[in-house]
Amino acid sequence: MTPLASRVIVLVGVALVAAIVVITRRAWLPAVGHTFPSVWRIACITVAEARRRRVIQAVIILVVLLLSSMTFFTYLSPMEQARMIISSGLAAITVFGILLAIFVAAFLIPAEIENRTIYAILSKPVKRFEFVLGKYLGAMIVLGAIVAVMTVVLVGVLALQDRLVQDLPDSRFDPNLGPVILAAVLSYFALAVLTALIVLISTVGSTTMTVISAFIIWAIGSLQSTIHDLAENAAGVSRLVLLVLYNVVPKLENFDIRHEVSNFMSISVVAAWEAILHGLGYIVVVLILAAIFFNDRQV
Amino acid sequence: MSQLRRPHWPAALLVVGLLLILAPLQERIHSARPRLFDPEQRVRRASAITIGPTAGVIAALGGFRTVAADLLWLRVERAWHGGNWWAIIPLLDAVVELDPHFLLAWKVYGWHCAYNLHVEAQTLVDKRYWLQRGLQVLERGVEANPGRWDLYFELGWTYYDRAHDAYRAAEWFRRADEFPDAPAYVTRLVYRPFERILDFDRLFPAIEYARAKHLDDHHHQRIVNRDLEWWTTRQDDPQEHRRQIVIENTRRHQRAIPFHMYPDNPYWDVCPRCGMPSAKDAQTCANCGYERPPEGWPDVPLIR
Repeated sequence: MTPLASRVIVLVGVALVAAIVVITRRAWLPAVGHTFPSVWRIACITVAEARRRRVIQAVIILVVLLLSSMTFFTYLSPMEQARMIISSGLAAITVFGILLAIFVAAFLIPAEIENRTIYAILSKPVKRFEFVLGKYLGAMIVLGAIVAVMTVVLVGVLALQDRLVQDLPDSRFDPNLGPVILAAVLSYFALAVLTALIVLISTVGSTTMTVISAFIIWAIGSLQSTIHDLAENAAGVSRLVLLVLYNVVPKLENFDIRHEVSNFMSISVVAAWEAILHGLGYIVVVLILAAIFFNDRQV
Repeated sequence: MSQLRRPHWPAALLVVGLLLILAPLQERIHSARPRLFDPEQRVRRASAITIGPTAGVIAALGGFRTVAADLLWLRVERAWHGGNWWAIIPLLDAVVELDPHFLLAWKVYGWHCAYNLHVEAQTLVDKRYWLQRGLQVLERGVEANPGRWDLYFELGWTYYDRAHDAYRAAEWFRRADEFPDAPAYVTRLVYRPFERILDFDRLFPAIEYARAKHLDDHHHQRIVNRDLEWWTTRQDDPQEHRRQIVIENTRRHQRAIPFHMYPDNPYWDVCPRCGMPSAKDAQTCANCGYERPPEGWPDVPLIR
């Protein structure tokens, strides 16, 4: 895509979004005042439900123990120790974060329908899209707290090791704290995108289908650059399939800077912002679709 | 499964508009990311034996290549400390394949081939093979990490210290020195290879080049000025020439120079035990304490 074509496409997109927002203002403007309190209340209920789940607490304790045990690589050189702690710590945050995101988000809406508690909620003056947004916001608060705990433990371990490990002339323990925190923040945005997609699937499917789809999306989303490269070299139907996969499935890889952080490479803050911006746009698209599907679903 | 009960054209248009904004942004993000998986093998495979994982395995690991490389690196450590030097090679191949930006793995791989396995090899052909392999590994490392000075320096050092190829060494040191974060000792190494081969036509411009850099670093300036003064006064001194030749030949053979290679010099001799220079009138070698035989030291021409 040439730079001129990219700019034209972006301008058309911005114009279209602006036009729709202005044209439909009479429909959404009066509802804004009512929407935020409803969404917040449902989010608070979702957080309270998550706090009662023992599995989440058990997983958090497991991750904290795992991250704390990373101080045992003392037979390695300081530089190797730093690399090992950073790469394993960030991998633990990603893996457990995604497992918890799937576990939390996949049960949000189907469980309410299966337990028939949704009737009590929808009989109140709560719109269906508010219910979807509230559930999503609640899940993101829970995941934010979990990622924050794991990041604090990892940063603590790195800071502690930085004090304990003695540097050698050609091997220094570099805790690389700034990029580690940025990597954790980007992991959180990856979870936000994945959770939005899980919410979308859960508005039309069962819990089992949602969980299986979430794992497949995670796998494909983490291999997007590989799919892009393969699509460039493929032809015919396989190229079409790969291009559809590349354009539809979220680019979770955009948020993955673990490799760069572990290797102490320079990290572009602009690229990180672009990835976050792209993720937020994707989340808006997915939540609009989720609201539409849930609005039309007969429960 | 739900069915749409009424058209949602404003929402659909909103989605289309957002997707139009996101598509070019994604292209920018994709082109800005470093390439880890290389399906077209743009990075040249110089290794003669590649027992690393296949491209499919690497791709399947997704975002966990770094962790996989770390786990294999722990096995490298174990094999190293267990003295299992030959088993390290396929492991190191796998580590650099999984994580091409793991600089320490490239350094250790190149050093292990060019130094340890080179020494362990029994025949000259094998020795040459392992030295060449070490150099090729470091060249692959440079191709995979063109934006970092470390591997340029390692390659230069291996040419300088192991292959004794002064011109290539100086060239790689110069490339390493072009990076702004390269330390001052890399700048000084740009002229060191020319000292060894006594190529004064290249030595003095290289010293001037080093002098013009790191102007605020007094330690660097002191060393460079000292070297410049030394070579300005000694460039025509045969004794100094011979000393350098002896040092270089001793390094090349990694032990005392064989008898047929000793220099013929009125002032300066070489100890037959340690190969280091020793004054002609000295009774014992200043380096190893070897005592001069009563009939004098052997007198044979030097091979340059």
